[in-house]
Amino acid sequence: MTLRVPRRTIAAFIGPAVAALAIVGVAPLLYALWKSFHDFNLTQLARQRWVGLQNYQTVLTDSDFWDAIGRTALLFVSAVPVQIALGLAIALVLHRPGLTFWKTLTRLSLVLPMATTYAVVGLLAQVMLNQKYGVINQMLGWVGVDAINFIGDPTNAFIAVILWDVWQWTPFVALVLLAGLSTVPPEIEEAARLETRSPWTVLRHVQLPFLIPSLVAVLILRTADTLKLFDMVFTMTRGGPGNATEFIAILIERVGNRQFDIGLAAAQSIIMLAITIVLARLYIRLFYREVS
Amino acid sequence: MAAPMQARSLWAEGIALALIGLFCVFPFYWMVTTSLKTQLVALADPPVWWFTPTLANYREVLFEDRVGVSLINSLIVATSTTALAVLLGCPAAYALARFEFRGKTDLWFWFITNRFVSPVVLVFPVFLISRELGLRDTHLALILMYLTFTLPIVIWICTDQFRSIPRELDEAAMLEGASQWRIFRSICLPLAMPGVAVSSILSFIFSWNELLFAYILAPNAAKTAPAMAISFMEGYDVPYGKIMATSTLIVVPVLIFALLASKHLVRGLTMGAVK
Amino acid sequence: MKLKSHVSALALASASLAGLAGAAQAWSLEEAAKPYAGTELEVLFLDRPGYNAAIQMLPDFEAATGIKVNHTTVPYENALGEQVRDFVAGGDLDIALIDLVWIGNFAENGWLVPSETFINNPELADPALDMADFFPLVLDAFGSWNGVNYGLPFDNYSGLLFYNRCMLEAAGFDKPPATWQEVMDTYGPALTKDGKYAYALQSKRNETQSADSFARFLWPFGGSFLNAEFRSNLNSPESQAGLQFRQDLMQFMPEGIVAWDHAETVNALAQGDVAFITEWSAFYSTLKSPETSTIADCLGVAPEPAGPAGRRPALGGFSLAVASQADAAEQAAAWLFIQWVTSAANAGRYLELGGVPARQSAYADPALAEQFTFIPALVESWQEGVPEFRPRFAEWPAITEIVQEYGTRMMLGEISVEEGAREIGTQMEAVLEDAGYYSGAKPLAQ
Repeated sequence: MTLRVPRRTIAAFIGPAVAALAIVGVAPLLYALWKSFHDFNLTQLARQRWVGLQNYQTVLTDSDFWDAIGRTALLFVSAVPVQIALGLAIALVLHRPGLTFWKTLTRLSLVLPMATTYAVVGLLAQVMLNQKYGVINQMLGWVGVDAINFIGDPTNAFIAVILWDVWQWTPFVALVLLAGLSTVPPEIEEAARLETRSPWTVLRHVQLPFLIPSLVAVLILRTADTLKLFDMVFTMTRGGPGNATEFIAILIERVGNRQFDIGLAAAQSIIMLAITIVLARLYIRLFYREVS
Repeated sequence: MAAPMQARSLWAEGIALALIGLFCVFPFYWMVTTSLKTQLVALADPPVWWFTPTLANYREVLFEDRVGVSLINSLIVATSTTALAVLLGCPAAYALARFEFRGKTDLWFWFITNRFVSPVVLVFPVFLISRELGLRDTHLALILMYLTFTLPIVIWICTDQFRSIPRELDEAAMLEGASQWRIFRSICLPLAMPGVAVSSILSFIFSWNELLFAYILAPNAAKTAPAMAISFMEGYDVPYGKIMATSTLIVVPVLIFALLASKHLVRGLTMGAVK
Repeated sequence: MKLKSHVSALALASASLAGLAGAAQAWSLEEAAKPYAGTELEVLFLDRPGYNAAIQMLPDFEAATGIKVNHTTVPYENALGEQVRDFVAGGDLDIALIDLVWIGNFAENGWLVPSETFINNPELADPALDMADFFPLVLDAFGSWNGVNYGLPFDNYSGLLFYNRCMLEAAGFDKPPATWQEVMDTYGPALTKDGKYAYALQSKRNETQSADSFARFLWPFGGSFLNAEFRSNLNSPESQAGLQFRQDLMQFMPEGIVAWDHAETVNALAQGDVAFITEWSAFYSTLKSPETSTIADCLGVAPEPAGPAGRRPALGGFSLAVASQADAAEQAAAWLFIQWVTSAANAGRYLELGGVPARQSAYADPALAEQFTFIPALVESWQEGVPEFRPRFAEWPAITEIVQEYGTRMMLGEISVEEGAREIGTQMEAVLEDAGYYSGAKPLAQ
């Protein structure tokens, strides 16, 4: 079906992009790999030397590193189900016929959170969640809840990160699921609605099968974004208080940027990259199968 | 009997819609109003909803704190990297959509995997390399690094777009003796313009929003707006009004773009997984 | 014009150094700067009162010399990283802004030019420089490493006790606490009520935790980071007593104190939510100005409370030094700026504009102490400080991260004081071992 064309032509089309991505994406990784075998601290450059696997040994036995991985996983399993549940609810409301103008308007408003600069989202959290001046605590006061110390308490800070992640990404999940709902052929859906009055049954037996691809996409992308999560937490809590919100990207930034231990940060990055690639391959095989 | 029930459920739906909209929009409302407050009003306890607005924060950040310059830097970087990504990405996408060759699947996987790689993995080695090449604190360093995520976006969305163009068009042109390049340039690319536009907008948004590369690689002359926004977070004094004014200036352009591309945003963010 | 500047240089020199007036005749800033007119200097500034004062003074310097000073404002949290990356990359910075705990690191990396280079150059050295006029403790701690001076003290702090006199009086106290024990026994219980707290101790997990919180309760109790052999001293009875004291004192502090940085703490005093805080002298202007403080009329300033081992107030501050990566002209111009901005002649103006100079002569006028009520406490604190309040060696950036992590976890109760101290000790010794202090490769200097 596809055309047979000379290799030279293919190379001319695809070569520049591959070369560019290799230079900016792969070369730094190789450099990081090389540095990860060194004692390489920006403030101790006179001391730099080959140390073999010592950095890896440090990472593998470092409880901070594994705690950060665990924390990242915990964020994923606590935020994503909430996003899916709320997102599905929103998608179902928007999927119903009627009130077209208002639904279009709501859909537009759903677009806003996910496009917002992540760093600004964290700054907004600082302003809105402040114990004294924060508007969220004021609103909680209206319904009789005492002001909550969101940023200063380890558990609350973690919850605050979850809440803010939910704010930014629930709309995204909702729109993805809404797109999934629109793939259900209308005649099947109508037939089902004539047979049962329970929306739950319709969802479970008719709509859900069509939603599977969307749900998988959500899982894949939320995994990637949770592993990458940096900007929002950096501007909101900087990983604090204590270690409470130190996710994996925040930890690596701290080691490389504040301890200046580039060698160790490189080793941590390589291990994180290995985890990422395994997950990515797994997901991609699962989902993008039909592509090839 | 059906009518009152329908009316009631319409009401319920309307309220649900309002709540959803409020949930999404309220933080922006708070951001903008805080940006119009003086420091004393911003730190009022409890927070005030009605106050005399002032533009002093905007004046200050734009003209005294170089936020204006950083916005221009952001614009230069985001526009250039987007243009470069389109230039490099469109031919590649065309090849992936149209040609058959060995290793195509692996290449595809490799492109996709880039979407997963955290910038924190790349940023320190890139800092050291940019030091060697004298690219530190230049727009070029950021433009090149942003290709790590803009190029995959363009390739994915455009591959999808090229696939949807009927092959008969190509074949007809082929029979007339047109070269592959000519077919791409004159026939397929114009038809793929919607995809190019969407991927450009997404590339622009992602580049505009990026923080970590900007923060490490461009400390001064090429500093972009998000890196500028975090530079107000001095532990000595937290000027909420100025921070929110800067935030507003950063966010407004991307929100406009996002609304323009709203129909395609989801498709772009899911890398074409959801049509 | 030329004559005029000679005359003013003469007047300036004779004012502070009457005996050397003859020598000063040959030197003037304008003349010295002539070869460097048009030079542009890059330096990082912070958004703090001392820097804003310097920025207001800058036009005079630029007009007199034709040297342009480009200052970029960064948050303190980023200042170390930005400078390290710039120096490693051979970047644009011509002047280093050195927090006292960075001096060992910057000096050992060869990023700074010793000030002697310029002091011995009659073309550049102002005869009125008078290094002995700087508070010796401050000059030594902020600008010198291993017996060599690099930086001149610029933005200078001592820890002070800022208190709300009205709140104290209402609770029946006619003076601020003189010892930490009094805080614990009487002031704390009496002032912590009705949603108000006696004390707030900024403890956020960054340099604030190490400098303002952790170290503040080591030294007055006789503790320290290291013993004479450079082994951890954190599990000594004295260090433990101090850290435990901090833990117990938290009952009189607002909840969530572990997330508080300077801004929150100063604001809590300014809003009348806490009765006293221990903060850097630089906050005087914020707390005294009715625009930012509701307690301006009630503000009192005293030296920090003493512990069993006496008064060991927190010591912190910044010096400016010439960066070795700058070219010769930039180095000369940088020196002229540093010398000018920290000079005795400019100290009075710097003080007026909200800065805190480290010149002894600047505080000699008793009238000033009435206008700036923090002066007596500050001068007293600078007599008694410990230069190694936080060790200043090259390894501090690594060690402070460890202290920050376990110091905050201790306060949060995730780990006991003893365990936390042991953990810091072990990791700190590993860093020092790596650096070669125990093998004798490096002298035991802090």
